[in-house]
Amino acid sequence: MEKILTKKSFPAWVKKLQSYTVYAPEKQENLWSYEVIQNPDKLNLEHLNTVQAPKKITFPQREVFLQFNTSKEGKPQIKEVLPKEQPTVIFGVRPCDAKAITLTDKVFGEEPKDPYYWSRRNQTTLVGLTCNTPPSDNCFCLSVGGSPHAKEGLDILMTDMDDKYHLDSLSKKGEKLIKAAENLFKPVSPKEKKELEKIHRESEKKIKREVKDIKNIPDKLKNMFNSPFWDEEAMSCIRCGICTYLCPTCYCFDITDELTSTLPLNGKRVRTWDTCQFPDFTMHSSGHNPRPDKASRLRQRILHKFQYHVENYQDYLCTGCGRCISLCPMGIDIIEILNKVRDHE
Amino acid sequence: MNENIYIPKLAKIIKIKEEVSGSRSIKTFRTQFVEKNGFSHQCGQSAMLSVLGKGESMISISSSPLEKDFLQFSILKMGRVTSALHETEVGEIIGIRGPYGNNFPIENWKGKNLIFIGGGIGLAPIWSVLQTALKKKDDYGKLTLIYGARTSKDLVFKEELEKLNKKMKVHLSVDVEEKDWKEYVGFVPQNVTDKKPSPDNSISITCGPPIMIKFVIKALEELGFKDEQIYTTVENKMKCGIGKCGRCNIGKHYVCKDGPVYSWAKLKTLPQEY
Ligand SMILES: Cc1cc2nc3c(=O)[nH]c(=O)nc-3n(C[C@H](O)[C@H](O)[C@H](O)COP(=O)(O)OP(=O)(O)OC[C@H]3O[C@@H](n4cnc5c(N)ncnc54)[C@H](O)[C@@H]3O)c2cc1C
Ligand code: SF4
Ligand code: SF4
Ligand code: FES
Repeated sequence: MEKILTKKSFPAWVKKLQSYTVYAPEKQENLWSYEVIQNPDKLNLEHLNTVQAPKKITFPQREVFLQFNTSKEGKPQIKEVLPKEQPTVIFGVRPCDAKAITLTDKVFGEEPKDPYYWSRRNQTTLVGLTCNTPPSDNCFCLSVGGSPHAKEGLDILMTDMDDKYHLDSLSKKGEKLIKAAENLFKPVSPKEKKELEKIHRESEKKIKREVKDIKNIPDKLKNMFNSPFWDEEAMSCIRCGICTYLCPTCYCFDITDELTSTLPLNGKRVRTWDTCQFPDFTMHSSGHNPRPDKASRLRQRILHKFQYHVENYQDYLCTGCGRCISLCPMGIDIIEILNKVRDHE
Repeated sequence: MNENIYIPKLAKIIKIKEEVSGSRSIKTFRTQFVEKNGFSHQCGQSAMLSVLGKGESMISISSSPLEKDFLQFSILKMGRVTSALHETEVGEIIGIRGPYGNNFPIENWKGKNLIFIGGGIGLAPIWSVLQTALKKKDDYGKLTLIYGARTSKDLVFKEELEKLNKKMKVHLSVDVEEKDWKEYVGFVPQNVTDKKPSPDNSISITCGPPIMIKFVIKALEELGFKDEQIYTTVENKMKCGIGKCGRCNIGKHYVCKDGPVYSWAKLKTLPQEY
């Protein structure tokens, strides 16, 4: 279903979605961040790349798995804590970030399914926004099978057309949002349709960065496991973990217990994001570490994304959002690395 | 929604035995679930044990699947969780979720000689296979155990090992010379070379520290064992147990679900990163 919505009516639509928690990008001290929208009148969708992808909503950095305590009889008790029921809409989702959510869907959807992830995910509607101009200098979605107007993972794709938005509703969840304020939407005229196609075509031309011959990369990497290449590339890394924490597709996590009191026993078991860039990610208690240095950990990041994940799920674990490049304090650039892999003997 | 895979089931500790004392202490625990459930394991699988407030640790189930009355775990005291387990007493409640991982393909080994090779706590993961093979002795050929530890005090299952001597060949070793030690002195791989188990119609099952495994495999290859005749387990650090938290991988494999049991033929094809 395709519709037109004037920009003037956009706040009115959002106001009709009272039963949802509504997130959209908000500028905070010059950085863009997905926040709960209190005042739809202030909403605008002119954001650049948010520092954190909407992953922070569908897969929060910290979430409680269970609570435990001791009963009056002194017996330990465990109580499952599932996320609360709260339908959520996220506006302004970039196509690469939506694609990233479909990638984590596959990992957490494989049997046995992850109940925490799915209880949030099933309640979330993703409203995307075409990147008429790239939201970052390091966008390379075209190289990894995406595009600035890709629909994968989205429930609605909105495209900015000056004083109005074109909306492409792509799922039942999407239809439901539009039905909440049906009278605000107009049909799409043939002229508007033409205009839309032009915007989409142009948007692709504006993507400047590229990984070359990416189809050959997985095979190429297979033969580079023992190459000194990784030492060279990892030399400047300060192992801050930013590249993975802020990556929309990275999903590795830790499970730990947090105590409120020991006597009587009271606490929570929580899941938190973790990263392959930290030494203790893989370090055994004995001190033995299968990935003991920066080189082996950079190699893991690249191989997971461009070899192992392709072998397991037939897709790259990277959507070309460019965050790991723009935000790495040391300027380590995944595109450059992949292009060097291509040229590696 | 299916059963929540992250919620442990409560189990009572019914027996604790100190196998090794001192700084590298090892204890064997027997547990029974507080409420009946569908938990059923195969040889080589592990379970996530919880001490609430401390966390979780992946531990091999050392009892045979044929043993229906309890689950047994032998645990080396290392850090947070394993130390907390060592402080528990009979009657206390812990959490268990699982079982996780693949298993030793013992059905395919019928009629074959089995050579068990263990180092230190590495006897625990192979104990379930060994016990199962003993209970169904007619199904298998000759059974041999080659097992060693740093010192005689560090050997686990000492009582059981003595009884085992009557049912199968047992070759013990300690790393360095000791007073009154009558068996082999040297590392486990050297003892393998010394005892020369025959590869004919045989399968070898090796568990222990990564460095020991590497050298045992070398020793077995020198004796003529083919890659398909050598089985081992890999114990990478684990958190989820179900292939999601991302840390236990060797290449595209997640050891928690695609392992921990590997034939050398298979393990060889993966990146050597474990
Ligand atoms: C498949 C498998 C089977 C195992 N079987 C046994 C066994 O039968 N007996 C035994 O004594 N030990 C076994 N281990 C090792 C045991 O899991 C670790 O020694 C234990 O988790 C250390 O936890 P800790 O809290 O005491 O140590 P800490 O150093 O405080 O560890 C903190 C956390 O790190 C993780 N961790 C650290 N080291 C390891 C490791 N080597 N493997 C997995 N997770 C780790 C655990 O989640 C642990 O809770 C096995 C490991 C695996 C992977
Ligand atoms: S962001 Fe850069 S410096 Fe930080 S861990 Fe990643 S590659 Fe290393
Ligand atoms: S690897 Fe880098 S470019 Fe690719 S999705 Fe992650 S942050 Fe974006
Ligand atoms: S332990 Fe989490 S992926 Fe294996």
